Amino acid sequence: RASKYCDETGNWFRHPESNRTWSNYTLCNSFTSEKLKMAFILYYMAIVGHALSITSLLISLAIFFYFKSLSCQRITLHKNLFFSYVLNSMFTIAHLIIVVPNPGLVKRDPVSCKVLQFFHQYMLGCNYFWMLCEGIYLHTLIVVAVFAEEQRLHWYYLLGWGFPLVPASIHAVARAKYFNDNCWMSVDTHLLYIVHGPVMAALLVNFFFLLNIVRVLVTKLRDTHRAESNMYMKAVRATLILVPLLGIQFVIIPWRPENRLAGEIYDYIMHILMHYQGLLVATIFCFFNGEVQGALKRQWTQYKTQWGQRRREHCSTRSTSYTATSITEVPVYLYHHDSNNEQLNGRYVDDSELVALKSGETSA
Amino acid sequence: LTVTPCRLSSNPDPVACLSAHHFIAATACHEAEYGRQIRERCLRPFKLSMEGIGQRLWCDWDETMGTYGELTNCTVAVAENLTCYWPNRLVDEFFVAVHSHYFRNCSPSGRALRDPPNGILCPFILVPILVTLLMTALVVWRSKRSEGIV
Repeated sequence: RASKYCDETGNWFRHPESNRTWSNYTLCNSFTSEKLKMAFILYYMAIVGHALSITSLLISLAIFFYFKSLSCQRITLHKNLFFSYVLNSMFTIAHLIIVVPNPGLVKRDPVSCKVLQFFHQYMLGCNYFWMLCEGIYLHTLIVVAVFAEEQRLHWYYLLGWGFPLVPASIHAVARAKYFNDNCWMSVDTHLLYIVHGPVMAALLVNFFFLLNIVRVLVTKLRDTHRAESNMYMKAVRATLILVPLLGIQFVIIPWRPENRLAGEIYDYIMHILMHYQGLLVATIFCFFNGEVQGALKRQWTQYKTQWGQRRREHCSTRSTSYTATSITEVPVYLYHHDSNNEQLNGRYVDDSELVALKSGETSA
Repeated sequence: LTVTPCRLSSNPDPVACLSAHHFIAATACHEAEYGRQIRERCLRPFKLSMEGIGQRLWCDWDETMGTYGELTNCTVAVAENLTCYWPNRLVDEFFVAVHSHYFRNCSPSGRALRDPPNGILCPFILVPILVTLLMTALVVWRSKRSEGIV
């Protein structure tokens, strides 16, 4: 806020030192150092958020690809969703690290940074449109087709990967023609709604689909397909939690409070909602998923028994190998016959090792 | 008898200060001379400098700030030399003329970019939203049909 003081005699205020008429601009940059510090904090928070998101999403993808027992169409949609989040986070980190701290690059304004921004907007669209695909899939599964499993996923791929090109391209054209600032970095323009508008529409449609699903599950299927409706209620619950969380940032974005402290709190909350989304999605869809947890537990107990068994067998083979050297001719089939124990496959491995040891002893 | 005019930038002659206000006004500042001097000594280098910058960048404050500041300081120096009050009416008119020649087409916020008018902006925003809704309806309809169930 700049001010200039006019006194009663009709003269402008003069600064005592230079004795020239002087306007007061000091309030314009009074909080600069604090604002700068907060900007740095938010910047590092964003980078950490996206890095955590990429890590957790890659772990989730690894889990989904490793456990073939989990595969179904819904998991396929999850894999695509996670992949789009990974790409989005990668583009955001690239933008934050390469373009934002580099005013020289922004001033030069090469085409590559505009291309980067175009892909950034495209990936943002992909994120939200894959969430919409999940909602449409659940809706078709539960409300329309009533638990028939196999749908053709081509249209979902088209909506999730292909369609976001449309708003991103329109935004690029409009930006190049009407608001061609350096690197398209400015967020002060309403042209951003070209991308954010469809995203909000997708979130709204998604939300209504999910409400409809809940309505159907609660009213119609409670009596007839109780077990299945319970299972699908659990599936819907995850999506129903996520959609409002992802959408709320778009609802409150225009209303930044004027007050300085409230504005800071608003900035922190917005940054957490925007940049930690990948982590949230991975947690809710993968780590908190009952089936995934069950599969992980089974794998863990399997490893534990294999390890324990292997250790015990290792100790016991040591003692038997010393006695085996004294025996010259023992038919192989006897060992195979004895070790035909199907419970613990680790045992069979160690018996064949014993056979190999035996034959090694005799041949030597 | 007022003392205010004496607290000018630097008055070399304190004795003249004690004279009456109207006497100082009559003898100290030749307006015509002032006008001539600022046009010769200040406006000419400013013109050359602005032409060196190029007309396309006249509205860019980063580029013109230095030379504009020099012009201002030059008018102050000439005022000091001629013991004129600064700022004065002549300087105001002078700067209004400079602005109307060099900065006429600059928008109030400088070369800051503006959104296109609403007539262009609204279709740009509404069309993707409508296409999104249509596409969603299409996908819902197609996945319904591929089930084979009505």
